[in-house]
Amino acid sequence: MAQTRTGSNLIWNILSYAVLIVLALLSIGPLLWMLLTSFKVDDDIVTRTMVYFPTRFTLENYIKLWNQSGYPVLVINSLVTTTLTVAICLFTGTIASYAFSRFNFPGRTPLMLGYLVVRMFPAVLMIIPLFIVMRNLGLFDTSLGLAVAYTSFLLPLFVWMLKGFFDAAPKELESAARIDGSTRIGAMFRIVIPIARNGLVATCVFVAIAAWNEYLFALMLTSSTGSRTWPVGLQLMVGEFQLPWGMLAAGGIISILPVIVLFALVQRVMVAGITAGAVKG
Amino acid sequence: MSRGRAMAALPPPRSTWDAINPLRLLGELSETRYWMYLLLLPSALLITAIVLFPTVYGFQLSFTEMRLNRPAGNGAFVGLKHYQRMLADPIFWLSLRNTAVWVTFSIVIEFVVGLVAALALNRNLPGGKILAVLILVPYFLPNVVAGNMWALMLDSRVGVINDILVRIGLLHEYKAWFADPNTAMATAIFVEAWHSFPFFTLLIMAGLKGIPADLYKAADIDGAGAFAQLRLITLPMLRTIIAAAVILRVIGLVNSPDLLLILTQGGPGRSTQVLSLYAFQNAYSDFNFGYAGALSVVMFVLLMLFAWAYIRLSKVNQD
Repeated sequence: MAQTRTGSNLIWNILSYAVLIVLALLSIGPLLWMLLTSFKVDDDIVTRTMVYFPTRFTLENYIKLWNQSGYPVLVINSLVTTTLTVAICLFTGTIASYAFSRFNFPGRTPLMLGYLVVRMFPAVLMIIPLFIVMRNLGLFDTSLGLAVAYTSFLLPLFVWMLKGFFDAAPKELESAARIDGSTRIGAMFRIVIPIARNGLVATCVFVAIAAWNEYLFALMLTSSTGSRTWPVGLQLMVGEFQLPWGMLAAGGIISILPVIVLFALVQRVMVAGITAGAVKG
Repeated sequence: MSRGRAMAALPPPRSTWDAINPLRLLGELSETRYWMYLLLLPSALLITAIVLFPTVYGFQLSFTEMRLNRPAGNGAFVGLKHYQRMLADPIFWLSLRNTAVWVTFSIVIEFVVGLVAALALNRNLPGGKILAVLILVPYFLPNVVAGNMWALMLDSRVGVINDILVRIGLLHEYKAWFADPNTAMATAIFVEAWHSFPFFTLLIMAGLKGIPADLYKAADIDGAGAFAQLRLITLPMLRTIIAAAVILRVIGLVNSPDLLLILTQGGPGRSTQVLSLYAFQNAYSDFNFGYAGALSVVMFVLLMLFAWAYIRLSKVNQD
């Protein structure tokens, strides 16, 4: 009996490794291929027989991307939009999330469900009216306008995810502070938010990555280099340049570098937050 | 004597600064019974302004004529004109069918691969943590990068996938995966599944941690095999998580045309035209906001019906 148990366990472990290694290769392989491509000269990319490793490493694609395509402006625009989005979520979302986590009040459940249902609204259904409203308010083609539009789907996400972290922060310290005469707002800023700061950082990173990556709203709500973000600019290169693969790969690598670094830094807390939010939701 | 004690209990006199100190005022405000509503106010106002108002406006648009490139007659109420046009629009029906194919196959593949990966990771093998991080990477990649990366690898002239498939003898010659109406949808679904299966892995892994180990020990003693345990313990215990994950993914798949916009723009022919893409192109390329609005309203209603039916069904199964 014990013999067969260990035997079948071993088989399952080997199978698990096989599956995981194949999936990991499949997940990372395309990225590695893009990285290789970004260091290739055009002759190595467009060839009769496939060149797997660059015959000579070159930074040509990166230099061309930086100098010819206005990429630095796009990256700066994206940075501004992302920062504004995170700031709006941070200022309005943190306190909302705290209220949902710590207070029981009439209307709490329907309100929380409301924040969840908002995610069901089709992007296209909101993009069109947002386009008209932004144009009338003079916010069309501005980083602020785009950031506000991003808030429409990222703020509810922010509130739900952060609520999970607030829920996990022990309530005893807060009670102790209250007994010592701290006001509610004092306890919130001096006790609860510092305790949940890892979660707060992870939630901000999650929102920042989503804003940084976003394509559809940016395509519709920006029209000039004044506010256009990198995903839109990168996609435009497909039509603008002949055989843009090298530059596309270089642009892809540069743009996902911050995402990968941030993801690596807060990956454990963030994963806990995404799953906690979804499990309870 | 008693009067003196009452005097001492009174708060010390306030200075002028104290009376207008914003921190003190906020502190006092936070002790009132409406504090939580005040905390919720900014975000609720924002969501009302940028989600609820546009949505209502979008519904209204679907009953009006609104073409930005033809200003004459804009804003006029046209009743159900757009909806009537939709019923007679073959592209609408094709998009509806394509949406069903796109969503169904993507969900099934993402769920199965996500589940298998989560089960394998849940065995807590040495090195599993690193493998988990690697497997989660695609989920955080931007659509624009993921899409173009695969477009490069599947390219009909320079695609490395073609080269590999030819080398191992599965293909005779390079194939234009996205240019052939027979393979475009399947290839797009593959890229989508690659991009989003980690979402299921993430959620299912979290769910697996919540299943008591005793259940499996008992099943072992009863002689239940691995597949019986999966069917009788794991999947039933994960029902809520799976339901939540499926609903969230279906919403994402129905609502966002991003990946198809980057990979195929609905072509070749209209073989990868889905509803969200059709609505977006009506707005973005043709500036026909009224018709695009009507298409998105239909999408929204279909999603609501799906979510409602799915939740009902997964609850019914509990009994």
